[in-house]
Order: sequence, then C-alpha cells, then structure tokens
Amino acid sequence: MKEFFNIYTDPVYSFTFVCIAFFFMIKYVDLVATKKFGIGLMIGTVVMFVLCFMDPVFSANFYMTNDNVPIIFLVLLLAWTTWFALYKGVNNDRRMAQGLPPIEATPENREKVWAWPNLVYTELFAIILGTVFLIGWAVFFKAPLEEPANPTWAPNPAKAPWYFLGLQEMLVYFDPWLAGVLLPGLIVVGLIAIPYIDVNPKGNGYYTFRERKFAIIVYLFCWLVLWNFLIIIGTVFRGPNWSFYGPFEVWDTHKVIAANNVNISEMLWINTLGVKLPSNILVREIAGILMTLAYLVLFPLFLTKKLFNFKGTFGAIFNGGFLGKRYLQRLGWARYSILIFLVLMTLTLPIKMYLRWLINLKYIVFMPEFEFNI
Amino acid sequence: MKREPGMHYNTKTLNKVFAFVAVLFLIATLWMFLDDYIRPWKAIQVKALEIEQKVLAERIAEENKNINQEDLAAIKAKIDSAEKEIEGRKKEIQSIEKELSLLDKKIYAQNMTNGIHGSKSGEYQFQYEHYHMHHDKRADKYKALMIEAKKRFAEGKDDLKTYQLEQSQLNKKLKKITSKKSEFEKELSKLTGAKDRLIFAKSKTEKTPIWFLRNSPFIDYLDPTLKIEQIVLDNITDDRYFVQTKKVDRCITCHKFIDKEGYEDQENPYKTHPRVNELAVGRNSAHPMKKFGCTGCHGGEGHRVFDFSAPAHMPQNAEQEKEWKKKYHWHEPHKIPEPMLPLQYTEASCVKCHSGEERIGLSQKLNKGRKLLENYGCYGCHKADGWEHLKKPGPSLTKINSKVSLEFMKNWIWSPHTFNPNSRMPAFFGQSNNSKPEFMIKNIAEVNAMAEYIHEKSKTSNAFAKYEQGNAEKGKELIQTVGCIACHQIEGIDEPYNKVNSLKGPYLTGTGSKVDANWLVSWLIKPSHYQKDTVMPSFRLSKSEANDIATYLLGLKNPKFEGLKFEPLNKTVRDEILVGDYFSQFDPEKSARAKLNSMSDRERTLELGRLSIGKYGCYSCHTIEGFAEDRPPIGPEWNGIGSKFVHQFGFGQQHHIPHRRDAWMYAHLENPRRWDIGVPKPFKDLNRMPNFYLNKEEIDAMTTALLGFNAQFIPMAGKKNHDAAGKLALEGMKVANKYNCYGCHKIDGMGGDIGAAYSDDLNAGPPWLVDQGHRVNPDWFQNFLQNISPIRPYLQVRMPSFDYLPGEVDKLITYFNASSGVSNYINKPKVVWEAGEKEAARKMWDGFACVSCHSIGFNNEEAQGPNLHKAASRLRPTWIKKWLKNPLAIQLYTPMPDFWEGGTKAAKEYDESLAGLLGDDPERQMNAMVKYVLSLGNVKTEMKKIESAAQAQKANTETAKKEDKTEDKK
Repeated sequence: MKEFFNIYTDPVYSFTFVCIAFFFMIKYVDLVATKKFGIGLMIGTVVMFVLCFMDPVFSANFYMTNDNVPIIFLVLLLAWTTWFALYKGVNNDRRMAQGLPPIEATPENREKVWAWPNLVYTELFAIILGTVFLIGWAVFFKAPLEEPANPTWAPNPAKAPWYFLGLQEMLVYFDPWLAGVLLPGLIVVGLIAIPYIDVNPKGNGYYTFRERKFAIIVYLFCWLVLWNFLIIIGTVFRGPNWSFYGPFEVWDTHKVIAANNVNISEMLWINTLGVKLPSNILVREIAGILMTLAYLVLFPLFLTKKLFNFKGTFGAIFNGGFLGKRYLQRLGWARYSILIFLVLMTLTLPIKMYLRWLINLKYIVFMPEFEFNI
Repeated sequence: MKREPGMHYNTKTLNKVFAFVAVLFLIATLWMFLDDYIRPWKAIQVKALEIEQKVLAERIAEENKNINQEDLAAIKAKIDSAEKEIEGRKKEIQSIEKELSLLDKKIYAQNMTNGIHGSKSGEYQFQYEHYHMHHDKRADKYKALMIEAKKRFAEGKDDLKTYQLEQSQLNKKLKKITSKKSEFEKELSKLTGAKDRLIFAKSKTEKTPIWFLRNSPFIDYLDPTLKIEQIVLDNITDDRYFVQTKKVDRCITCHKFIDKEGYEDQENPYKTHPRVNELAVGRNSAHPMKKFGCTGCHGGEGHRVFDFSAPAHMPQNAEQEKEWKKKYHWHEPHKIPEPMLPLQYTEASCVKCHSGEERIGLSQKLNKGRKLLENYGCYGCHKADGWEHLKKPGPSLTKINSKVSLEFMKNWIWSPHTFNPNSRMPAFFGQSNNSKPEFMIKNIAEVNAMAEYIHEKSKTSNAFAKYEQGNAEKGKELIQTVGCIACHQIEGIDEPYNKVNSLKGPYLTGTGSKVDANWLVSWLIKPSHYQKDTVMPSFRLSKSEANDIATYLLGLKNPKFEGLKFEPLNKTVRDEILVGDYFSQFDPEKSARAKLNSMSDRERTLELGRLSIGKYGCYSCHTIEGFAEDRPPIGPEWNGIGSKFVHQFGFGQQHHIPHRRDAWMYAHLENPRRWDIGVPKPFKDLNRMPNFYLNKEEIDAMTTALLGFNAQFIPMAGKKNHDAAGKLALEGMKVANKYNCYGCHKIDGMGGDIGAAYSDDLNAGPPWLVDQGHRVNPDWFQNFLQNISPIRPYLQVRMPSFDYLPGEVDKLITYFNASSGVSNYINKPKVVWEAGEKEAARKMWDGFACVSCHSIGFNNEEAQGPNLHKAASRLRPTWIKKWLKNPLAIQLYTPMPDFWEGGTKAAKEYDESLAGLLGDDPERQMNAMVKYVLSLGNVKTEMKKIESAAQAQKANTETAKKEDKTEDKK
C-alpha cells in the first residue's frame, strides 16, 4: 500500500488523478455539497494524516522540516473551506430553483445588529484565541534555528518558504524567467483584472454555484490544482536535488533519476529530419515559434470563429467557434482577449507538464543565446 | 433565550466567553514563560550544587580528622587566658579607646581645615601671579594673603602630624595589650584555616530563600546563580564563514567541576578533566581553560547549551550511542561540519596548533598513530604537509636482483603476509573486492608482469663480501645485544629481548628464505653499499661477526613459502588487460589492437609491468628504475582530511558504518576494499588501497593521527609558536626520528623502545638522553656522531654509525642544544686552580673512589661508568657540576652516588675522612671536583703510569710462566 503511494503520488500520475478528482467534484457537486460528504471528507483527511504519521519515514520527514506543520493545516482548511462554499452555494441554488430567495436574503438574515459588541467583541476573541494558538504552536514546534549559514554547504533540498513552493515546483518545467517572473506576475495581474473581466452581475451577497459556474470552476482549478496541489508536491514530495520522493520514501541524497529531456528543435531537425541543427537561431527554433504563435493567436480565433465547415463529429471538434457567441458577445473584444490570454497562459502549466511527462520535452523554443526559453 | 434589539449575541454569554478565553490566554502566557524558564542545564547546575556540597562536607570531615583536638583545645585555652588578662586591664583599654576616638575627631577636623587653607593659598597664589604679571597694584595685597594662607596651611599640616603620631603611639599601646591574644588567634587559624575556608565555601552551596528568590522565574534576569557560564577566547576563533569570531565556550555551564580537583570519581558532566594539572584545563596545566577553552580541542559547538545534542556531543561507540539515546534523547548533529571528536580521538586536535612538530610531548595516542603511519609507510602514497622530508618507506628496488630471486618477488608481491605475517608491505591481491576468479586471473598476470619489469630494470650490485658459515648462536647473541632489536623484530629471540616492540625496520623472520647470502653479509657490514640512502646503520661489525649474524638469519627459513611456485603469465589475459584497460583508453579498440600487435612478447609483458606498477603505485614507496623520483604519489592527499565533508566520503554499500569521518577512516583502515563490496565495477576501476591487516589498537591510533589533518583555522596568536631555536629543534627532531634515535635512546622522556629489554638494569642499555644539549660539548658531539668511539666500552649495545646526509648532524646537535636552551658554541674550558683546591679534589677523588667505576684509563678493572679521560672534551663544565650535584635528578637509573646529596651536604657526610676540605662548603667542593675531572683529560701521566705498571706486571707473569715451563721441562 505504501509502495503504491510512493509510486503514484509522483506528479506524473497524481496530477492527472487530481484533475480527474476535480472534474468529478464539479460534475457531482450536488453530492459533494452534502453534510454527510463534508463530515466524511474531514474524517477521511484526519484519518489519512494519522495513518501517515504511523509510518516512521513519514514522521521523520515531517519532523525534519517544520514547514510541514502549516501544510497539514492547509490541507484540512482547504478541504473545509472548499466544501463549505460549495455546500452553501448548492444549497442556495436548490432554494432558488424552488423559487425561494437565497439563505442570505431571508428576512431574519437581513436584520441589522450593533457592531459593538456583536462584531468587535467576537473579533477580540478571535485575536486572543489566535494568539493562544500561535503560542502553543511556538512552544510545541520550536523555531528551526540552524547553524550559521555556510556558503560551501547549501542545504539540499533548498526550499523556498512553503507558500512559494508551488512556484518553485514550476521551475521543474519552465525557464526561471517564466516560472519565477512572468507567470507569478501574470497571477497578480490576473487577480487584479478579475473584477474588470467579470461581467456576471449575479452572486452578490450570497453563495451560489450555478450562477457563477465558469468563474468558480476556473478559479478553483487554478487555486486547488495549480496552486495548492503544487505546494503540497513541493513541500512533501520533493526531496534532495528536487527529485520526487514518495511520502514513505527515505530521502536518500544519492537517488538518481534519469532525465534526458529534448527540445522541439532537436526533435524536428535531428530526430525527424536527420540533419544537424541549423546555425540560424530562428530557423532552428522555427517549429517552436510557430507552435507558440498558433497557441496564442490562432487558438483564440479558433475558439471564437467558425473557421471550417466540416461535417459530423469531426466538424464539431475542428470547425471552431465554441466560445464565439456566448463569450465574445458578452465580454467584447478587449475583455475577451485579456481573459483568453490569461486562461491560455494558465493552461501552459499543465500543457508543459504533460509534454514533459509524455515526450520528455525540455523547451518549446530554446534560445539560450537570448535567455529566451519557453 | 430572548434577544435584545440590535443584538445578535447575548452580552452575558459574550462576557463568559471572554472570561474563558482570557483565562486560556493567561495559561498560555504562563506556559510560555515556564517553557522558557525550564532549561536542562539548570537541573544539572542544581545537582552540581548538591554534589559540591557533598564533596565539601567530606573534605570538612577529613580536615576535622587532621586537626589535632588536643592542640585545638590548648590553643583555645591559651586564647581564653589571654582574654582574661585583657579583661583585667579593661579600664586601661577603655581610656585608650576614649583618647583614640577623640584623636579621630581631631584628625578629621584638621583635615577639613587643611583643605581650606590649601585651596585658599592656591587661589591667592594665582591672583598674586596674575596681577603681578599685569603690573597691577593689587598684587601686593594678594601676596600678603598668599603668604598668610601658606603659613597657616603649613601649621595645620604640622598639627595633623602631631595627632597622627599620638594615634599610632596609642594604637601600639593597645596592640601590646592584645598581642598575645592575636598571636594565639593566628595559631588557631593556621590549624583550622583550611577547614574554615571549606565551611565558607560550603555555605555558598546552601539553597537559602535568597537563592530561590534570585533564581525564580521573571526575577532571574537580575542576578541569578543558575546561569550560563562561558569562556570567551581571545586567540582562538570560530569560523563563521565570512568572519572569524572569538570562540565562545559554554561547556562549563554543565561541566561545572571540569577544572577542579577532587571530582575525579563523579559521573559526567560533574567530572574533573583527566590530567587536569598537567595536560589541560587546570590553571597550571599546559592548556589552561581560560586561554584554550574546550571546543578548540574537543570540537563541537561550544556556544550551544540548550540540550544534550546541541553542542554536537559524539559517542565513542555504538554502545554509548545507545545509552545516550536512552538517557539524553541524543541525536546525530545536523549540518555541523565538525562535530565533537569522539573522546578517543581528541588528541587529533593537538596538531591544529602544534603543526610541524613530529612528536608532541603530551599526546601519547597521536604520537603512536603518527609513528604507525610512518612505519607502515602510509605517507608514501598520501602526501601531507610536514611529512615531505621522509624518504620513501620501502627499500629501493633498483638493485633488487642481487638480493632476492624473481620467483620470490612474485610470491611476495602476491601475498607478503604469507611469507611474513608481520610484513609492512601491504596486500594488494586476494582482497574482498578482487577475489573473483575473473579478477584473480588478471591480477596474476599483473603480478607476473610487475616482477618481470622490476627484474629486468634491476642493476646488478656486486656483493663485496663472501658469506662463510659462522656461529649461529653467536649471531643470535649479537643480534640481541648489539642493538638490532631497537628496529627489527625477530621471532625466536630470547627474553627479555623479544619484549622490544619496534617496527622501524622489517620483521626479520624468514630471512633465510628471502635473501642472497653474500648480499646479506655485505649489507650487514656496509648497508650504504647496496642502498645509498638507507637508514640502516653500520654497527662496525667485524667480518666474523657479520657472518655469525648472517648464519643465524639465514637459518630462519619459511619452507612453505619457499616451496611456492607462482602461476605463469597468461599471455591472452595480459594482452586483454593491455588492450582493454590501457591502450583503448583514448583510442578505439582497433588502433589499440594494432598497437599491441606491433609489440613483441617481451615488450608486452614489460609494458604491462610498467603500467601495473603505475596503477598500484609501487613507485610511491619503492625507488624503481623508469619511474621519476618526483612522480606524484598514488593516494589522495591527507591535508584537510580531518575536516573533509562527511558526504564526500564514499560509503558504498557499507550501510552498517555510521556516516562519520572517524567511522569511515576506521572502517577504511580495517578493510580498505570494503567500499567496493556490492558495487558493480569493472576491473580497472577497483579500489586499490592495499590491506595492512592492522589490529584494532593500531587502527584507533592511526585514525586519531588522520583526524589530525584538520583544515580548521587557528589564528597565529592562538597557535604554538616556536622561537628560532625551537624551529631548528623541530627540524633536528625529524632527523632523530628518521634514524630512529628514539628506538634506543629515551630522549627527554620520549621513545627508548629498546628499554623493554633492559628493564632489569637500565644502566646496561643505551643511555637516556636527558638535557643532552647541556651535557655535551657541540664540537665533540659533531665529531662523535660521525666517528663513533665508545664512551662506555662496558656496554654490549653499540652506538651505530649512520650515513648522515649533509647538514643532518648539525640539525641533530641544534635539536639537543635548543631543547636544553643552550648555545651551540662554548669556549674551551680552562682550569684555574684556587689555593688548596687541587689537593682537596685529589682527596675527594680518592675518598669517593671514583676509579672503582670510572676505571677506564686508571686500572684494568671492568668499568661501570663512562671514560672520564674524555670528559674534558666531551662534557660541558656546568653540566658536570649539575650532574655531581644530583645525578638521580637527571638519570633515574644511574648507579652514580649522590655524594653531596643534592648539593646540600659537604663531602664529610659521605666520608668522615674528607672533613674540613675547602671549609666543608659543598659548592666549593663540587667546583674543585669539576676542575679535577676537566683536568684529567690533559694529564696523560696517570695512563702512562698504569700502562707501564701493567706492562711490568705482564712481563713479570710471563717470565714467571717461562720459568714455570722451564721448570716443568726439567
């Protein structure tokens, strides 16, 4: 069983599992948003941790890095908040389907009360309890003070703070410029842009799922799968040399993993055409450049415009124009372009991950001469 | 429950919740303080207090026993009676005291008045000078004032002196009355002072309420008694990577009594440091704690005290590790580049400061380890700073053909220990990583080729002497007594000569099956004929003596080994190695084959031999034709190995070996090939470090020495710095070590291995060299070392004649002179007699019966002391006096009597007939004796007299014999 987890928690497999799980969560959201499921989820998560801690290797790894403590909280809280939001939203959806107002809009919930003491007093409780919790945490898990820094003896693995480990995990697949600068920048820009892109007036002041399906799905996918899951991987499953280590696997520094990654240009010129790499950079990287352009320019067009007129299923897939009517019309060109750009940039992560796993792809465009590698 | 308008919660409930969380918060805060307050070292300090109390109580009890109760009672009675006497003069005392208190008041008041007059006179003087300078009229007024003030100031001072005189007189009076009592009180304190001090010390260990207050939480920041104690070192630093900071050692926080005697029997951490007053920590030791701290020697993180594991304590062995884990929850230190050295290896740290010293006086284990590294020739393959001067450890093979046969060579290379279990030539073959049949075949081919190569390249050396059958018994006797055993061990020699455990030279058992007879005789007579740079000396053996020894040695055979026939060279395997492992290294196999085909059969063998010698590094230890002298040795350098990162050591599949530096070294010396076990490696990549078959003690000592090759930085001021003479002495020490002077002579407490054979009568063995620089005249020494002529002909053991390299003799002499702190040059002593001195000396010479032992040159009796006719040229006069004064203080075992009992008693105490000589002044008597001894060498008449007397006697006896014979014939 442990061996099973040691193998299948590797993101090569587990990322797909998590994506599938996410798909089922959305598909069977009515089932997920029940109290029974919620209780089961919490119990299941706690039991999972208890079982894991019974393993000496897992608990040894845990004690070695104090970062793992917030990860445990994170997982529990994530499970709880996600379930809670869905539960509330689905509940309201059900009410609205029956013609009732959302819970938040019922007369008793619209009644106004004094901020003091109702709000301020309880906030004080929260502050005190939070402090008590932090004291307890600090006493139980002493600050992991180490030796004075030794430049000739860097820690292995060298890990960022736990909340940045998702970004660090992206470094496995991307050039540092992308993973460290461009994509995090886009996350910030994207978050800022959300209110301007979002033209859906529904869902103000109450929980709902159905009325904001697209927004919730996109956001939750990014938040749960692309951000938090990668943090968990970066924290728990990455050991020395940033190699993958299963939860019950000893962190042996000498673990060797064969990684022979190739670039698109090498695939094209050497493997396919059987000639040496052209000396002209643009010619050499032509395939990657064209693919990138197609992804960023042609693909959005394909989504909005009906480009072909094939018949049957084939036509349904390749004719294009899926989003045309619904989104382009509702958002307008400017908003649509920004949205689709952000979504496409987000999708580069899973795409690059799968390309790495499936065909050992290193870079789509590889121009170290200009430090331009994507 | 009814809700108030505008309220979601009930206020009372909120208040209750608030009360609850507030209490929770209080508890959490207290808990935090408590957690901060409770530290493991505090418990230790409290226990230390109890132990100290107990020890002090014991000492007080002991001190009580030492105090004679009768004496105590007598003194107390005396004090009582003195007090009564004082009581009788109470009135007198009271009146004096009254006067004294009055005087006190007067003196105080006078001091105040004087102050006023003094300052006023200063002020007026300034005013006067000021106005006078500016030609102001007011100058006159201030002049008068100044003179008046000065006058009054002088008067006041005089009054003060009068009062002080009165005061001292009264005090004297008072003291006289109480003098008896204070005298007795002094006596009392002499008797009980030690005890009183102990009682005072013990009172400091009581846990009084004040003690609790000072150490209670919150308040303990003021002036706690339980606190972290630390030593900050000025000259030794901690390396914090970008900066060297003063070393801070807080070990004494728990090791409370480490520098105090009397806690030797306590358990750790309450123990006293071993050799506390000699080696380290003690105030008068070589390394006082305040100057050297703890972690400078022991390693570890001295500033960390928060729990047992924090300072990186390291267990000595698996058992201790288990015990510590149970007792202290010990865990392996994380990310500490140099944790504490396990206790048994602590001496490794000596080298950090004592670099360049070949032997370090107080480091017994380190010295042993370094000697072993030297004797096993480890430095041949592994370079190290400070070891460059040593010659190649193995014998030169450039003329080997005249010594051993080709067949012997092959068998020997294959397995030296089969021939000689004590061989220092290590085993390269038949090891745990190359014993597979496919490897063995290749190894056999290599050994064949190497032997062929060495044989081919060997020059012939003509043995200049011819072996003749001698007397083996006599040979054995010579080996035992002449001094061979100081370097060589031989199975079968007699007690006590087999007790000497020296490894400088090879183990000689089996020599008969090894060497050529003529070679052996020549070698014994003149070793340098065969090998120019050998350290084997000549013992000035006569031809017959050499033949006797050779006969004995040749009789020591190893028939089993002699019968061995080495497997012949497999040519296919040879070619396969040449092509696969060497020729195709940089060329494709086809070209490699072509290269092979262009070579003749013999060429191929020799080429494999040459390459294999390079591969196994034979040239690192032996001089071999075709290998340049400066070719770098085969092994990795030792420098810094004691600080090498643990993860840079390859542990292979040896998972049971802890990942620690010392454990790796230990395991490596135990079986150097173990790292290959279970690792799939091709033949050419197999580990080549040979096996020396060391025993546990040897490995332990060698590990200590290896850990000494440490890269830690110690500032110059913190190191042992030698002055110019000291540095020269270290150079000389290297020479002394090279020629194994230490094998025979115990030099200032070091060495003297051969002494084991003379434990019954050390005087029959080679003399200890104590303060040798002071003893001998450098000019004489210079000559003696190069032209040995015996000083003590009565000794059977001989001072050998070495072939010193240029400059080595000077270094040796400088070594002795520098260690004694004497100059290299002395003036020729001149004897100037004072009146009556010569006669007195002559009388003492006879009275002490000097010639009864120092008979050489005086009569024909067997001598028991050195030849005194050489004293004038050999000894320094100051040393002769030192020797006469107290011979036993210099030479523990000397039979020389202590005539003046350490210079305290005159000669008459030894022999009454010598009374009245030179005023019975031991100093003058010794001076006279020194002069007498110095003048002996100049006076040949004594000798001549004796010689002529002896000749006359001889002639007499001969004529008598002749007469007898003629009478017989008749």
